[in-house]
Amino acid sequence: MPTEKFVIPIGPQHPALKEPGHFEFNVDGEVVKAASVRLGYVHRGIEKGCETRNYVQAAYLVERICGICSHVHATAFSLGVERLADVEAPPRAQAIRQIVAELERIHSHLLWVGVAAHEAGFDTLFMYSWRDRETVMNLLEGITGNRVNYSANVLGGVKCDIGPEQAEVILEGLRFLEERTRHYLEVVSTDAVFLRRTRGIGVMTRDDAERLGVVGPTARASGVPRDVRVDAPYLLYREHPVELIVEQAGDLEARFKVRVRELFESFRVIRELLAALPDGDLTTRMPRRIKPAETVSRIEAPRGELFYFIKSNGSDTAERVKVRTPTLPNMASVVVTAVGHQLADVPMILAGIDPCFSCNDRMAVVRQGGEAEVWTWERLRQYGIEHYR
Amino acid sequence: MSTETCLQTAASLLAAWAQETTGPEPGRADVVIASGDLIAAAGALIDARWGYLTAITGLDLGPDDGRLEVLYHFACGAAIVTFRVRVPREGAAVPSLVSVIPSVSFYERELMEMFGVTVEGTPNTDKLFLPEDWPDGVYPLRKDFSMEQLNGQGGG
Amino acid sequence: MTLKLDQTWQAALDKLRTWARINSPWAIHFNSGSCNGCDIEILATLTPRYDVERFGIKLRGSPRHADVLICTGPVTRQARDRLVRIYEQMPEPKFVIAVGSCALSGGAFRGCYNIMGGIDQVIPVDAYVPGCPPRPEAIIDGVVKLLAKLQGHDTSPGPVVIGEPDANPALAPQPEQEEASA
Ligand code: SF4
Repeated sequence: MPTEKFVIPIGPQHPALKEPGHFEFNVDGEVVKAASVRLGYVHRGIEKGCETRNYVQAAYLVERICGICSHVHATAFSLGVERLADVEAPPRAQAIRQIVAELERIHSHLLWVGVAAHEAGFDTLFMYSWRDRETVMNLLEGITGNRVNYSANVLGGVKCDIGPEQAEVILEGLRFLEERTRHYLEVVSTDAVFLRRTRGIGVMTRDDAERLGVVGPTARASGVPRDVRVDAPYLLYREHPVELIVEQAGDLEARFKVRVRELFESFRVIRELLAALPDGDLTTRMPRRIKPAETVSRIEAPRGELFYFIKSNGSDTAERVKVRTPTLPNMASVVVTAVGHQLADVPMILAGIDPCFSCNDRMAVVRQGGEAEVWTWERLRQYGIEHYR
Repeated sequence: MSTETCLQTAASLLAAWAQETTGPEPGRADVVIASGDLIAAAGALIDARWGYLTAITGLDLGPDDGRLEVLYHFACGAAIVTFRVRVPREGAAVPSLVSVIPSVSFYERELMEMFGVTVEGTPNTDKLFLPEDWPDGVYPLRKDFSMEQLNGQGGG
Repeated sequence: MTLKLDQTWQAALDKLRTWARINSPWAIHFNSGSCNGCDIEILATLTPRYDVERFGIKLRGSPRHADVLICTGPVTRQARDRLVRIYEQMPEPKFVIAVGSCALSGGAFRGCYNIMGGIDQVIPVDAYVPGCPPRPEAIIDGVVKLLAKLQGHDTSPGPVVIGEPDANPALAPQPEQEEASA
């Protein structure tokens, strides 16, 4: 039953550095036949910006690449610059960096559970997970003084300490969150309505995942054991390792499970670190100018491997800073996995990679032949929800 | 595989094409490769299931040097092997890796618009990040880029 | 608009419309290049802890339903046209709230090649909420103060600026000509 072919552009907005996406889906009836992406609505030219600002200023700039995982950007950059300058942050600073990084992962994953549930039309879960997320936000604000762009890192160390009272507050918060997370794990793996939207949808086989070079939880949900914290430990991940969480199914359900199960690892590592917080300084001296060299800095962001390439040239400004955010390779996988699926599943497949979105809110339906009808993201989402009613 | 053995495996896989190999940092190897050998060399790593391509970095060595470098970073565990492909700034071109790594298209589109390196044989040459009305022949990440170039040509 | 109403009726109708709008302003959120920080804080205002719906504020997906445009982020070259388009699609009267230092001035990204500057370089802004990112409370404050202005409780000229000390008028930005574009 051949029907008209539609080209459906979705997008364009998406928040992080380069992640804003404008998708075009070619559909035949209900089924997606081909997809392509256009990014750049939020492209601000940060890589160039880093070449005109000195290292200290650039650290603030890269932190603002993404407001959800700001700390990992700042950490990757600081670690890289420190390595170029042959400086190592004191152990206490590294422990604090790691604690903040794991708290950030918790906030990011909870945020994602909420947003993804919202895409599925499950707003109750959205509200619950965002309510609980406020607990983490409080902890982060308690440590760093800011809810979003923490600026916990300075080159050569951190600017905020965690005292014993603070540690108590964190442990208290973690107890609450752990209990809630158990509940979420139960919801995402047993709720029948929810499973209809996730089980068997958007499957990516292990082979595909490896071939496409996907990273982070998206890869681990397809059984690819890829986690920078384990593969190439940085900070104190060697002394306080995290366990690799993998699921084999490769569908949306697996992506939910991987992320939720990862939270338990984060809770455990934070507790471990708080119990064994090394003594000592928070910062070391950093030279202003850095000898010419190149370095690569990789970090496991909540969404996967974050890659920094930094080249110094002897001055106080970087010669080149290259940032490859995890969403870029994962985005490539959406274009491939969406093919062959129902259009109604597209919002969930997109949500599945956690593309750093929060305002992917407009799309247009273009009938082949010219006339265009504007569809909002909202409408596509509703369409998906209705479809599964 | 330990990082060292990873690097050794890579070195032996790439022996046929490596013009020069250096180790800038522990766990890293930089391999200079001619642009003509790029597909074969990348294919050798991929066929042997040696890690994955994690990023492509463009590097402008400046108008004085007259060359651009394209760095292909492959990661396997903690080991990173970087292909350094040197091309002249004028008429810079590298072959596309889509035939060996299908997902590379995004990185190649980025390389094209940011550095003006032509990627021969890449399926999609549309702009990825830059706006539609971006002036032709202006590449923001080249060293001689300036805002005047942009404003002068009606880009703003 | 084609109806001919006498003045009393017109006044009454206007009153009714203002009343409805103030009691339940619908907002649309547009990210023109932000880092996401501001956006998640805006989203956070919807969630149980802050819950802006108690003021009748609702986030809508379509500009055609919205009274208030909440903008975040510096304006990138590529997003500029979209921003203008969305603004033009909104029915009159419309109000714009710029959230975050980026939306105010370009913030940390000032001077980057793909940045046009703050929101007010492109469309008129009625309320400024500074911060990187502003706390959800500040965003709510911005909306509420804007409402107060619409109700006529606050008669000071110029846009609403959150966190600006009222005591120091010298700090307040110069009142701009309101562009009542049709
Ligand atoms: S003001 Fe700060 S948090 Fe908001 S978009 Fe700009 S950099 Fe991000």
